Amino acid sequence: MVWLQILIDGFAISSLYALGAIGFTLIFGVSGVLNLAHGGVMLVAALMGWMLAGEAGLGTWLGTLLGVLAGLVAAYITYLMVVRPIQRSSAIPREEKEIFVLTGTLLWGIMIQQGMAYIFTDNPVTMRPLFPGVATIAGVRTPLNEVMIAVVCWVVIGLLWFFVNRTRAGKALLAASMNPRGLTLLGFELSRVYLLAWTLYGVLAGVAGVLLASFLGVSSNNTGQLTASAFSIVVLGGLGSVSGSLMAAYVVGYLETITAYLIAPTLRPMPALVLLVLVVYLRPQGFLGRR
Amino acid sequence: MPNLVRSRMLWAAVLLAVAAVTLPWWVSGYILGILTVAYYFSVFSMAWDLLFGFAGEVNFGPTFLIGLGAYTAAILDARWGPPILVCIVAGGLVALVGGLLLAVPALRLRGPYFGLITLVAVLLLQNAIVIFAGITGGEIGMTVPDVMSVSAEQNYWYALAFLVVCAIILFGLSRSAIGLILQASGQDAIGAQALGFNVTKHKLAAFCISAVFSGVAGAMLVFYQGTASVSTVVDLGVGVQIIIAAVLGGRRTILGAVLGAVFLIVAGEFLRPLGQINTFVVAALALAVILFFPDGLLGNLLRVRERE
Amino acid sequence: MSETSRLSVRGLTKRFGGLVAVKDIGFDIEAGEILGLIGPNGSGKSTVMKLIMGIERPNAGSVKMDGTEMAGWAPHRIARAGVGIVFQHSRPLHRQTVLEHIKLALLPDSLIKLVADPHVNRRAREIAERVELGAVMHRHPATLPFADLRRMEMAKAIARDPKVVLVDEPFAGLTLAESESFAALIRTFRAEGRAVLLVDHNVKSVAALVDRALAMYLGEQIAEGTAEQVMQNETVRRVYLGGKIETRERARSEVVSKPAILEVEDLGVLYGKARALDGTSLHVREGEFVSVVGLNGAGKTTLFNAISGFVPYQGVIRFGGQDLRGMSGAAIARAGVVQCPESRELFSDMTVRENLDLGGYHLAEAARSDQLTWLFELFPILKSRQRQTARTLSGGEQQMLAIARALMMKPRLLILDEPTLGLAPVILEQLSKALESLQRTTPITVLLGEQNVTFALPHADRVYVLEHGRIVWEGDPSSFEREMGRGYLETVPI
Repeated sequence: MVWLQILIDGFAISSLYALGAIGFTLIFGVSGVLNLAHGGVMLVAALMGWMLAGEAGLGTWLGTLLGVLAGLVAAYITYLMVVRPIQRSSAIPREEKEIFVLTGTLLWGIMIQQGMAYIFTDNPVTMRPLFPGVATIAGVRTPLNEVMIAVVCWVVIGLLWFFVNRTRAGKALLAASMNPRGLTLLGFELSRVYLLAWTLYGVLAGVAGVLLASFLGVSSNNTGQLTASAFSIVVLGGLGSVSGSLMAAYVVGYLETITAYLIAPTLRPMPALVLLVLVVYLRPQGFLGRR
Repeated sequence: MPNLVRSRMLWAAVLLAVAAVTLPWWVSGYILGILTVAYYFSVFSMAWDLLFGFAGEVNFGPTFLIGLGAYTAAILDARWGPPILVCIVAGGLVALVGGLLLAVPALRLRGPYFGLITLVAVLLLQNAIVIFAGITGGEIGMTVPDVMSVSAEQNYWYALAFLVVCAIILFGLSRSAIGLILQASGQDAIGAQALGFNVTKHKLAAFCISAVFSGVAGAMLVFYQGTASVSTVVDLGVGVQIIIAAVLGGRRTILGAVLGAVFLIVAGEFLRPLGQINTFVVAALALAVILFFPDGLLGNLLRVRERE
Repeated sequence: MSETSRLSVRGLTKRFGGLVAVKDIGFDIEAGEILGLIGPNGSGKSTVMKLIMGIERPNAGSVKMDGTEMAGWAPHRIARAGVGIVFQHSRPLHRQTVLEHIKLALLPDSLIKLVADPHVNRRAREIAERVELGAVMHRHPATLPFADLRRMEMAKAIARDPKVVLVDEPFAGLTLAESESFAALIRTFRAEGRAVLLVDHNVKSVAALVDRALAMYLGEQIAEGTAEQVMQNETVRRVYLGGKIETRERARSEVVSKPAILEVEDLGVLYGKARALDGTSLHVREGEFVSVVGLNGAGKTTLFNAISGFVPYQGVIRFGGQDLRGMSGAAIARAGVVQCPESRELFSDMTVRENLDLGGYHLAEAARSDQLTWLFELFPILKSRQRQTARTLSGGEQQMLAIARALMMKPRLLILDEPTLGLAPVILEQLSKALESLQRTTPITVLLGEQNVTFALPHADRVYVLEHGRIVWEGDPSSFEREMGRGYLETVPI
């Protein structure tokens, strides 16, 4: 019985991780940025969604939608006010740009965390479930919300896949991750392509954030852990590989769930971290790494 | 041969040091306390600058090394009570091992990958401390039975002396032949190798030096405050502050890190009345520095001299 | 003889994945001799240099210095054994003076020696004086001109009195006068009994300096001998010139009267401090086919990158009367100036069809499918390989795809940079036919940059010759053979 529960819970949490990680890896693949404010973006979406749904009385669905929007705004601010200015700054030598962007996003993430903690305190909050009720799967009672969250995650991932592989704008995005110079030669303004990438990222992280609030609850203290999980997964799967992130998300999600159920809930984040260290020592490019 | 800038800088440093020694006679214990912490922080930042500015490796988790040193010393003292000096030395040694552990992937990974590993190292240490709360006191932290002194003036002088010694060693290293080789290794590893330098060996040395200083400083901080906790010595936020202090003061100047650290700690104190938001403000300030003054204080001054 | 040679290389081979960059290269350099290693882009000459220095490890072969095997050693060990290298690009330390840079080269590889020995200072000064940096040795690199920075690199390389000196592109970025002075410096190396290896794009620029030359192409040795012998060698001529020069008469009357669509006036480009283009002026009329011929490193790519807006420049570039300054690269492409660069820049993991579709992204649906149909007629092989990923195509097919993709944009001016690089003669035929068809059936204007004169001449209405960053000749193809023919590849005695 426990194994079935692990299976279901693990699936739900992995799907959520996958959503967040795919966004993270998308941004890295297209614009080469490792966004260490990732947890912050998710947090903004989660907390705003919770506040608007509950405190502001707008109801769960509208609150969720606006939460995603808030995540999008946070993503835009991250790009337009932190990442892009650093990338364009002539005062920073080219070789150090990556490091500065990394530090900049880290700082911005801390700012978000502290700012949100100031406004909302660091008490964990949970959003009321989008899908109230209980579902019974093979004899195991699970909140319907949990099941639907996994479904929503996969719907979003499916939409993303469709967009990238079947629409022209999506193909341009894919091309940018392969060869930005090639795109410029064909008359594409890279700044627009990057904006598109960050928009998609904002939506992905935003959805992941509000769903997390609805499923497990969030607090500003989680910010660092959320970012760490995302980049653990992305490095495991191989930086820049979306399918790799997908696979790794499930590996990490299930490892964590098994640890939480069978060993101790406090040790939850450990296996991912240990796995990450092993991977970096033994196979730095991850499972399916390309870049 | 006398480098004009260097002697000006050195004289300024000497003057500042002398002024600092005299402070306890006309400043309150409260301010001395802030400065004491700032001095230890300065050593953290100087050690970071040596690794980054001179070996070209970005350590996002200096608090991994600091925390190793701090907690080793604290646990040793709490459990077996050897003399403080022994605990501090032990802290330095354990931090050295930690530095070597970090060095191994560093020598095989590109920039952002290594940065991530340093972040993960801090998280792992944090988690480990929480898990073994029985020994470490977990998230609340632990107290140590011994402290270096209960007098604010004495503690201040200990810290200042420590800072001066570390500054002399680290600055001296940076200006020495070894410092030159390290700089070349960090900036253009292939070029350095073509000149006959075993870059791997030198980078490893840089890691070890940075680790030892970080660990020892961390241990000393514990024996000043009488406590060791995650939020003071293993926190990611603290690590970022260390980096900012070095950047503020000027990368690759070593002494600039002292200026940056003192400024940051003092500013943090002034902003304390703001409550929780003070970390936000400091982070915002740091972001502004990165965006608009990436060369930092001393860095800008030196750049002006170079063009002449 | 090989036992006593200062530097002896045998059977040197290096593979990068599936690509063989260097295949079975062997040569000797005696003490007091200068060998020139010549080859176009992609020939493997730089890789050979890196293999000798230990920066890359060979898959097979031996590198011996005075009989001692060094292949497989770490670079710093090879350096300490007596090999010095002058890289083409270097990053000096900004806070150190020139003298301190030279001192660095004299330091022992020690972890504990904090202070340099007293003689280091004296020796560093001597070396600085020797390379004519005596007056500036206390200055910082940021304040020095390019030639002095190159001198500093030379000083570092010879600081520890190496037995072998490797120099990569000795004259790149230097003026004629500076090149002379550098050549003199390199001669002193020879006089001191060192073995010198010069790596360069073409024989002409180092002909006066080298005792012997070795030409490489696609990783293999194609000629060896004196500079004269190598320049006259059939294979070398074919590789560089493409064979015997032929021209075709083209009906040019209509073209001459059309207005200029591209005007480049007094163009200058600096890479950091190195001058890549100097006072270049050219124009292209609507409907014309203009070829810019020049050896690798002459500045063709720089010229095209300036026109396409990828590098900053001094001077004026006008397209259709509009000043292109300030426009982004993408905007210039949309304005009708489409470049197909030397590196092709294909989306390697996308299919042929997807690559082409992206080229036609900004066109309306109907226009795009029309364009596609036309291009498939022009390049039938692309049609049959529509669904293959670009990575799996052969070199020639990739080139055709790159050109087709550029044509999808319906350019008013098509810039082609070295399309024939690394392609087999059979493919060149196909490419030539496609270009001819293009010229006949469309009013397109083409600017072609090529080292391969045989390919570039038949299509051209006018020809410019670019050498060392300057236009040295302009005229029509038939005059080229008469006036420039020999002087293109060889140093013509005055």
